[in-house]
Amino acid sequence: MKNRIERLCEITHNKEVSSSYFRIGLKWQTPRIAPGQFVMLRVTDSLDPLLRRPFGIYNVIDAAGKASLRGTGIELLYKVVGRGTRILSLKKPGECVDVLGPLGNGWPLPRLLSSGKNRWGRHDKIIMTGGGMGIAPLYLLAKKIKTGVVLFGGKGRAEAGLTKAFKGHKIRIATEDGSVGKKGFVTELLKEELGPDSAVCACGPVGMLKAVAALADDAGVDCYVSLESSMACGIGACLGCAVKSGAHGAAANRDYRMVCSDGPVFLSRDIDWEAL
Amino acid sequence: MKKNAAASSALSTEIAGIKFQNPVMTASGTFGYGMEFGGYTDLNRLGAVVVKGLSLKPRAGNPGPRIVETPGGMLNAIGLQNVGVEVFLKEKLPLLKGLKCRVIANIFGETIEDYAELAKRLDNAEGLCAVEINISCPNVKKGGIVFGTDPIEAARVVHAVRRSTGLPVITKLSPNVTDIKVLVRAVEDAGTDAVSLINTLTGMAVDVERRRPVLAMSTGGLSGPAIRPVAVRMCWEAAKAARTPIIGMGGIVTASDALEFIIAGASAVQVGTASFIDPDAAVKVAAGIADYVKRHKTTVRELIGSLKTG
Ligand SMILES: Cc1cc2nc3c(=O)[nH]c(=O)nc-3n(C[C@H](O)[C@H](O)[C@H](O)COP(=O)(O)OP(=O)(O)OC[C@H]3O[C@@H](n4cnc5c(N)ncnc54)[C@H](O)[C@@H]3O)c2cc1C
Ligand SMILES: Cc1cc2nc3c(=O)[nH]c(=O)nc-3n(C[C@H](O)[C@H](O)[C@H](O)COP(=O)(O)O)c2cc1C
Ligand code: FES
Repeated sequence: MKNRIERLCEITHNKEVSSSYFRIGLKWQTPRIAPGQFVMLRVTDSLDPLLRRPFGIYNVIDAAGKASLRGTGIELLYKVVGRGTRILSLKKPGECVDVLGPLGNGWPLPRLLSSGKNRWGRHDKIIMTGGGMGIAPLYLLAKKIKTGVVLFGGKGRAEAGLTKAFKGHKIRIATEDGSVGKKGFVTELLKEELGPDSAVCACGPVGMLKAVAALADDAGVDCYVSLESSMACGIGACLGCAVKSGAHGAAANRDYRMVCSDGPVFLSRDIDWEAL
Repeated sequence: MKKNAAASSALSTEIAGIKFQNPVMTASGTFGYGMEFGGYTDLNRLGAVVVKGLSLKPRAGNPGPRIVETPGGMLNAIGLQNVGVEVFLKEKLPLLKGLKCRVIANIFGETIEDYAELAKRLDNAEGLCAVEINISCPNVKKGGIVFGTDPIEAARVVHAVRRSTGLPVITKLSPNVTDIKVLVRAVEDAGTDAVSLINTLTGMAVDVERRRPVLAMSTGGLSGPAIRPVAVRMCWEAAKAARTPIIGMGGIVTASDALEFIIAGASAVQVGTASFIDPDAAVKVAAGIADYVKRHKTTVRELIGSLKTG
């Protein structure tokens, strides 16, 4: 009956990749992971801070270095924003952290990759749009959707540094200070790329997601967003991570959806954006 | 075999004539309807699963943010979101069939009639061993006064439930009262078979950057290790005043935490917030109590209320 997916994982590396952004590697014989799924980490053995911290799965490492969804380890990309992430950033290779996961539902790869005359089916062009830290879960997705285009929006050079790993993909960058790429918001790039045959996958701050969802809606294309919410359990039990459902779409009969177990990836029209 | 039986009976406890294989239960609202945890822990090794609070009709719950972490604990204002008693009976309860742990339904209403009707619906449900009444809700008919902080209102709820079901009735008390002993006596006189406590303590957190409450509902219920000393004190006071068994909870993470409640007078304990941090927490607490009982060559029943003072 008991089939635990909570375990102590050894840290293989934990490096600052850009100012206050870290990449941590965890040894873990993973089950199959869907891009967009997340894990809940305990950053301490003590009860302070008390709750686990959610992080999207950035990368799956397999021995051959291929874009596998199964592997011998995972990587997370995180930003130090508070006590929990600070404690995590001080951990050394060889130490262990308690990992619960993989959790939630990621991007619907089969739907996005559904077979059509050109392999992408009705979506000829998958636009992966990341804002700041929201780029993290898009890396694994981009590894699977090689011909898609990645759009990144960030404040400046430090955040833009997060996109280094994406070389080999078609990537376009916008920064608010104009230090890298186009000056302005990532939505400017999205407007240029969007077409009737697009599908959008996005992750980032709520304000950005709102704008992205509105653009996709105007263009009449599917948009899948990955949301964040305060979490306690990560497994649909505490009902703490609720977001309000939109008026139409699959969720019409339910007032709230749980980010951890119904999401974190949602079809944008299933979300009530006014309530976020 | 024999040795096993002896070991297991050393752990067992009894409440309202029901035997539990060990004194560890999950606290309502922290363990879903049970099966959410099926893949993470061995439900067979729990004394009982207490399910999420049930109402007559499904409830959507409150807007977010619903939770926030606080020092050693968390605040929640979930708003009692639940699937409603009918869906529970049809879709959730059957999934727990065949397990060795017992199942307790937690109920709440906005009127006395709601409580009575809920108790009636659950009366003949296969697989339920008791109902736990959550009286920490506002009485809509009485202008929102909270049932659980008024001994007369609390007694009326218990009385109505008692008359509507043959199942043992556990009344769950709120800690947001001046004298818990008054509430204990009131619900006992109204016919409760056991008392459980504590529910969450009302609290608040402010986002100073935005000068707004962190929670959408402004206030929420505090749970977790931060409330344990308050909970132990209240259980101790309740146990001294009570004629019926006490089920203690509030911030239990380890077996030692649980034993504090048992020694202070609780016949059983519930593990709540700890299950969020470690889905296996309740089972680990039960295992730790088994070790303690062995080490001290005693039984859970001997430990109940064995506190030495003076
Ligand atoms: C599904 C999901 C995936 C995420 N993926 C990533 C990722 O890949 N990389 C990354 O850097 N961050 C990610 N986050 C955000 C990350 O969880 C928070 O930055 C982190 O919890 C902050 O913890 P802290 O103790 O440092 O901050 P504090 O502000 O001290 O945390 C206090 C409390 O608030 C919660 N909290 C704070 N910020 C957030 C937030 N943005 N979302 C949810 N809860 C929050 C914490 O979990 C904690 O309970 C993700 C969040 C979610 C919900
Ligand atoms: C998220 C959450 C939801 C809860 N929901 C309920 C509920 O529906 N009914 C109820 O009687 N108690 C509910 N409680 C209270 C717990 O059952 C328990 O009394 C309290 O959390 C103290 O125990 P703990 O510190 O071990 O969590 C809830 C607690 C939390 C944290
Ligand atoms: S975090 Fe508990 S239900 Fe989502």
